[in-house]
Amino acid sequence: MAHSFPEQVLKHLFSFLASDKERNSVSLVCKSWYEIERRCRKSVFIGNCYSVSPEIMIKRFPEVRSVTLKGKPHFADFNLVPEGWGAYVEPWIIAMSRSYPLLEEIRLKRMVVSDESLELISTSFDNFKVLVLLSCEGFTTDGLAAIAANCRNLRELDLGESEVEDLSSDWLSHFPDSCTSLVSLNISCLGPEISFSDLERLIAHSPNLKTLRLSQAVPLEKLPDLLCHASQLVEFGTGAYSSEVRSDIFSNLEEAFSGCKRLEGLSGFWDVEAAYLPAIYPVCSRLTSLNLSYATIQSPDLDKLISQCHNLQRLWVLDYIEDTGLQALAASCKNLEELRVFPSDPFLPEPNVILTEQGLVAVSEGCPKLQTVLYFCRQMTNAALVTIARNRPNMIRFRLCVIEPRAPDYLTLEPLDAGFGAIVEQCKELRRLSLSGLLTDRVFEYIGTHAKKLEMLSIAFAGDSDMGLHHVLSGCESLRKLEIRDCPFGDEALLANAAKLETMRSLWMSSCSVSFGACKLLAQKLPKLNVEVIDEMGPPDMRPESSPVDKLYIYRTVAGPRFDMPGFVWTLNEDAKH
Amino acid sequence: MMELQLGLALCGNSTKGYNLDEFTIESLCGNFNLNTKKPSSSETLDFQDENNVQVLQTLPLLVWDKADDDHSEPQRKDGYEAGVVGWPPVNSLRKILCHQSSRGGGGAVNYVMVENGGGSSGRGSLYKYVKVKMEGVGIARKIDLSLFQSYGTLTDTLISMFGKSKENGDAYKLTYQDKEGDWLLAGDVPWRTFVGSVQRLKLVTDEDY
Repeated sequence: MAHSFPEQVLKHLFSFLASDKERNSVSLVCKSWYEIERRCRKSVFIGNCYSVSPEIMIKRFPEVRSVTLKGKPHFADFNLVPEGWGAYVEPWIIAMSRSYPLLEEIRLKRMVVSDESLELISTSFDNFKVLVLLSCEGFTTDGLAAIAANCRNLRELDLGESEVEDLSSDWLSHFPDSCTSLVSLNISCLGPEISFSDLERLIAHSPNLKTLRLSQAVPLEKLPDLLCHASQLVEFGTGAYSSEVRSDIFSNLEEAFSGCKRLEGLSGFWDVEAAYLPAIYPVCSRLTSLNLSYATIQSPDLDKLISQCHNLQRLWVLDYIEDTGLQALAASCKNLEELRVFPSDPFLPEPNVILTEQGLVAVSEGCPKLQTVLYFCRQMTNAALVTIARNRPNMIRFRLCVIEPRAPDYLTLEPLDAGFGAIVEQCKELRRLSLSGLLTDRVFEYIGTHAKKLEMLSIAFAGDSDMGLHHVLSGCESLRKLEIRDCPFGDEALLANAAKLETMRSLWMSSCSVSFGACKLLAQKLPKLNVEVIDEMGPPDMRPESSPVDKLYIYRTVAGPRFDMPGFVWTLNEDAKH
Repeated sequence: MMELQLGLALCGNSTKGYNLDEFTIESLCGNFNLNTKKPSSSETLDFQDENNVQVLQTLPLLVWDKADDDHSEPQRKDGYEAGVVGWPPVNSLRKILCHQSSRGGGGAVNYVMVENGGGSSGRGSLYKYVKVKMEGVGIARKIDLSLFQSYGTLTDTLISMFGKSKENGDAYKLTYQDKEGDWLLAGDVPWRTFVGSVQRLKLVTDEDY
């Protein structure tokens, strides 16, 4: 009896729906619910900018205030997607500037953003509040100056890990003194120069600032001055954390940190001078998040620091922490939910630190809430993985990178199939998994059988045959994103599971064995997919159909083929101009 | 005809028996223009027939000057595969920081740098991806500087990457942005110093300099 409720009532009910998923479900109930829902949806998330067009989005959702767009495939982070591939935000900004005058928030990830787009944003939306650019590129500080100058109500400016061309250090001066709305500022990706006085002035007239992440260029000695204007900060990212060791600098710093009574998260720590670490001891017990992943500090300084952070929920750190440090972490941080251990120098043939499977096992034993792991190490055993799985059946994201491709269990020399098998079998809520080490088709059989909630899977240098891919595509019911590199997966598994691809966001395969002919066939049979072949060697149709393509990116779309490709990307589609 | 030597051998697909030796590299690459959709009309791609297809693992096309090329692949130690693109999966910023810390640019840790058996400036098993722009060309490229040993080979490769011929290429000068943010003409400092400090590259026409 949906029609007996007036629209206002339904709208009000829908306003309690928190997630896109829920709103999507609601819109499928009946036509009138679809209509009511679409007209009141305020926030849109588009996981692949090419899956839909700006026009389609605007037509369906006319009242949007917040848009999130993701562009390039994840493997672009590791240089596997050539420059110029696409993910331009400009057409979206142009379309939204015409149709969404009340737009408040734009969040982008892995997209190419031009200064023109930033200028257009700054002048098109009177009430613009939030700009988040994660791993984006294509813009300069001139674009940022436009945002600073024109967005009167700016609350959040987060440049994430974007690549910004530094044309001038004075873009910060474009923030008018009357702008007092800033709540969050992340400029950690910038450098080499910044106007410190502009920064100080900006912070001084931003009483609501809760998050501040500085660039490396901000020197240690200046931190106390900044912090005294911003003692209400909840999250703070330092600049370069080193200086000539002087007691006056130290005591100023320590006093400044002591004054930050609300501080819960710290990051930055580029280039650390260990003597200055004790300056943050006053805040350690309150910290829930600590990012030391760019800090080249080691024991005992590192251990001493971490052992004071009893309330830590999230720790990002370099492998200098070593097994001993992880054991100490397991003993002191019982609230730990997320651990990321990055490699300090993965290119050395011999390990420079003692970070092994033991460290991860210790944390899995000692930290009952651990659910998110990213771990780079040089050796692993099935036994360790089995233990981790048994300890932590609540694991949700598990990404393991054994640095040497195809490295076996170093004790038994067997593949790591059994270990990862235990992970997927025990961890029933697992949503994200990255594999590494020596793996046969067997591990994929385990994954297909058990990983029913898995949404994202990353595979490299693994498997023996198409059966591996087949297990994954046929078994993983919740799979949305699959990215594969350097695996012997070819045509058969892909063609046999072609329909599966329409239920997923995207599939990336590079240096595998999928032939050009198979790509054409897929494109023919499944018109709702864009099948893109990326090959810098030249047009794939100049080669025999059986030759494998270099890189393949397949994604579902309602927008049809795209036309903004560079010369080395071919969309195989009946309608495409190629 | 330029002979292309592939300095990196990618792992994977060994079970399929891809055999680089049986390929005629010259016939494949020649004057390939990466920025257009069609190869120049005079070029035909000479492949083996369908039943015996041997296919090249893809790499960015690099042009090596024979004189500069002492070795065909980086030396590996303990089977460690130093030549794989994008592995281990750490982003560019982390790679740069690894590079800095191991060159003694920060932190108190001592490292042993891996030197290749060949050339004096050794690859050092390190990536250094920098963005390259060419004046007048919309799309930027990225290039791994650790694969080069001289300004000459770098400039030649960049010119052909952007699809210009050698004569046209002479009209361009290579400039770079250093760690301090300044734009300088490439070639004045020793190669190694250059590699250590370059942040990005730009090819500009002569009139600017």
